Amino acid sequence: METKTPQTTLIDGSKLMIEALVQAGADTFVAYPITPSNWMYKYGKERFPQFYAAPDEITTFQWMAGLSAAGRLPATSSAFPGIALMVESINMAYAMELPVIIIITQRLGPSTGSATTGAQGDLAILNGIISGGYPVPVFSPSNFEDAWELSAKAVETAVNFRTPVFLLTSKEMVMYQKSFDLNKLKPINKVKREQPQIEGEYLPYKAGKNLVPPFIPLGNDQHLVRITASTHDEAANIRKNDPEALANTRRLHDKFIKRIDEISLYELDKQEGSQKILMTWGITADAARDAITQLRNRGEKIDLLILKSLLPVSPEIYKILDSYKKIIIAEENLTGQLKEIMYGARPLPHVKQINKMGNMITPDEIVSGVIQA
Amino acid sequence: MTKNPNTFLTDKKFPFCPGCGHGISINALNKALQELNYTAHDIIVVSDIGCSGLIDPLFATHTIHGLHGRSPALGLGVAMGVAQKQNKKVIAFIGDGGATIGLQHILEAARRNVDMTLIVLNNLLYGMTGGQISGLSTQKFKEIIDFEKDIPPFDLVQLAHASGARFAVRVNAPNKIKDTLKKAIKTKGFSLVEAASLCPSYGMKRMNELIEVVEEENILEHQRPATRIKDQLTTSLLDKTPRITPKYKANLTNRKGILIAGSAGGGAQSVARFLAMAGMYAGLQATMKGEYPITVGTGFSVAEVIFDHNPINYTGLEKPDYFIIVTQDGLIKVKNKLNKDSKIYIEEKLVTDELKEKYSNIIPVAFGKMANRKSTALAATTYVLNKENILPLEALKEAVGTHRLKDIFVEVIEKASQY
Repeated sequence: METKTPQTTLIDGSKLMIEALVQAGADTFVAYPITPSNWMYKYGKERFPQFYAAPDEITTFQWMAGLSAAGRLPATSSAFPGIALMVESINMAYAMELPVIIIITQRLGPSTGSATTGAQGDLAILNGIISGGYPVPVFSPSNFEDAWELSAKAVETAVNFRTPVFLLTSKEMVMYQKSFDLNKLKPINKVKREQPQIEGEYLPYKAGKNLVPPFIPLGNDQHLVRITASTHDEAANIRKNDPEALANTRRLHDKFIKRIDEISLYELDKQEGSQKILMTWGITADAARDAITQLRNRGEKIDLLILKSLLPVSPEIYKILDSYKKIIIAEENLTGQLKEIMYGARPLPHVKQINKMGNMITPDEIVSGVIQA
Repeated sequence: MTKNPNTFLTDKKFPFCPGCGHGISINALNKALQELNYTAHDIIVVSDIGCSGLIDPLFATHTIHGLHGRSPALGLGVAMGVAQKQNKKVIAFIGDGGATIGLQHILEAARRNVDMTLIVLNNLLYGMTGGQISGLSTQKFKEIIDFEKDIPPFDLVQLAHASGARFAVRVNAPNKIKDTLKKAIKTKGFSLVEAASLCPSYGMKRMNELIEVVEEENILEHQRPATRIKDQLTTSLLDKTPRITPKYKANLTNRKGILIAGSAGGGAQSVARFLAMAGMYAGLQATMKGEYPITVGTGFSVAEVIFDHNPINYTGLEKPDYFIIVTQDGLIKVKNKLNKDSKIYIEEKLVTDELKEKYSNIIPVAFGKMANRKSTALAATTYVLNKENILPLEALKEAVGTHRLKDIFVEVIEKASQY
């Protein structure tokens, strides 16, 4: 194997995410600053071909939607207070089927909470963010390699599925620095965006087998394009609840669920004969990696599953989990949001939780949680 | 979509109530676009919600139909997106109801002055929900319905003008709307046209009655060029991040955590960064994390550095091996983390009898005498590195070498290493 000279840097997750977004093809950054995503704002201003300092988060998202409809590929970063303002506009872009990327840097809530304290508290809201319960892709980096790869994956998913995509990260992932060899970063291919060749009239919401309509931007000289957020048919005519329009709305759900394998990502560290599995995501993953090493050194047989795509939950994840007698879910929130999404609020004898808020879960806390489970 | 090549409208019947004024503006726009020799592919009509939002299917152009009150912002996004294409024009519609939802968007679009036109169809009320008053309902109109008559309406034309709009106009006479729109659309920059509109269901049913109650016509202009939109050439953030190649040897057997606790402006964050880099120059893996209040210029400033020969996953530092406490703010912040196993290096002036009694492991040092306030954290860190022999000070000098104040920093390091 070829050994490369190490490219060791002291680097942060914000920088890796912004660089990856641009290399993957995102070309416009729109944002209103909010702690703890300010480093991304700073890097976004420096790196994106176009950068817009919006006066608030609703404007941020409306500009992004307009830019996206005109053929650009916009991204933003925010935290819960900003995301809360964006919700109606996110629904709009979802219904219009516009590619945009939204980075959420989780911080301690409720409300303004504590802006410089990390958290994993915004998964539950993303699970219901689209009115009607429609799924929206959510990726969550568990380390710097993920921050890089999932950012590129988010751009690819936004384009290939014509959709808003979330990158759910945490203050602790994007506001610390670490020695890191850049050789660990896989090359990123820029996502292809060629205008599809359409014979005759272009129906903006007529999808083929892949359930995603070909995208042609507003203002192009070949086809007149109609885009709408209201319930509509294939031609983007606003129609109430007639069958054709409802079929189009149903497609918004089906395009993700029927192609879920394309957006399902996880890391499974498996040992022969384990009957216990520790599952986690995001910022708790690195503590879990350390905890697993400690547990195995003590002779525990335990596997580790780190989810990198959180929503929609892939059936493949249940298939993995169903082969274990005990499942332990660790996440930095009070109630266990991933647990409640996957298994409901009801306590289950074989599903145990390790939760904490206000501070990162430590490897020692995971070790004792697993032993008690 | 349409059989007539000269029209910008589809064959769809107008969906408005009989006698509604909105149709007048739509027909006027159609004529204006024809006379300005646009093609359908040049025009992007942006609409939102309310009666004015019903125009979406009527236009045989590019169209986008979004949320209530947001068409000025959505439209500006589209305008910025198509700005680098030739001869494209964004025309957004909004009603007087949407105009107050999106008032900020209108002011912002006016301020930015990117080329687009916003048409405000003002029928003085919310037509779709039962005729409730709007923020643009005039006092004369409200006298008729005897509600909030002492509260004036927003004057959108003045607001847009005050925000920097190239062209802002209120037009009441139906026969003037087409020419006004032509002028607005021809204007390069942000233009706003507020057109008075009849609402036979809830408002004014006749034009002569409407003219009696609306605000006066007005034209306000700024001689300012439209904002140009262009892409900037940028380079990789990674290429600009310095590579650190080990040159020195660390004297470290197992993982060590160092916590520097000071005050805002005391350099704890940059010192921690230098320290992490110094470790990397000595071949170690390192993490650096800062904590400070949201008001960054005051209060505590705490930074953590972890060193290890092996890769570091979890980055928390519950029990630092070394505390370096240089100010009272820093001490207060980390007090709960102090423990009997760590080495607590602390500015001697901060040491109280209580602290001494509780922790036999405190090491008072006169950090304050080693350097001025802004450099105390660096001096203190140098002192501790030197005493504990974790890293060669040359590595720390190497780390500060990239900073514009490197000469001062090297002096601080050399002086502190004498203590």
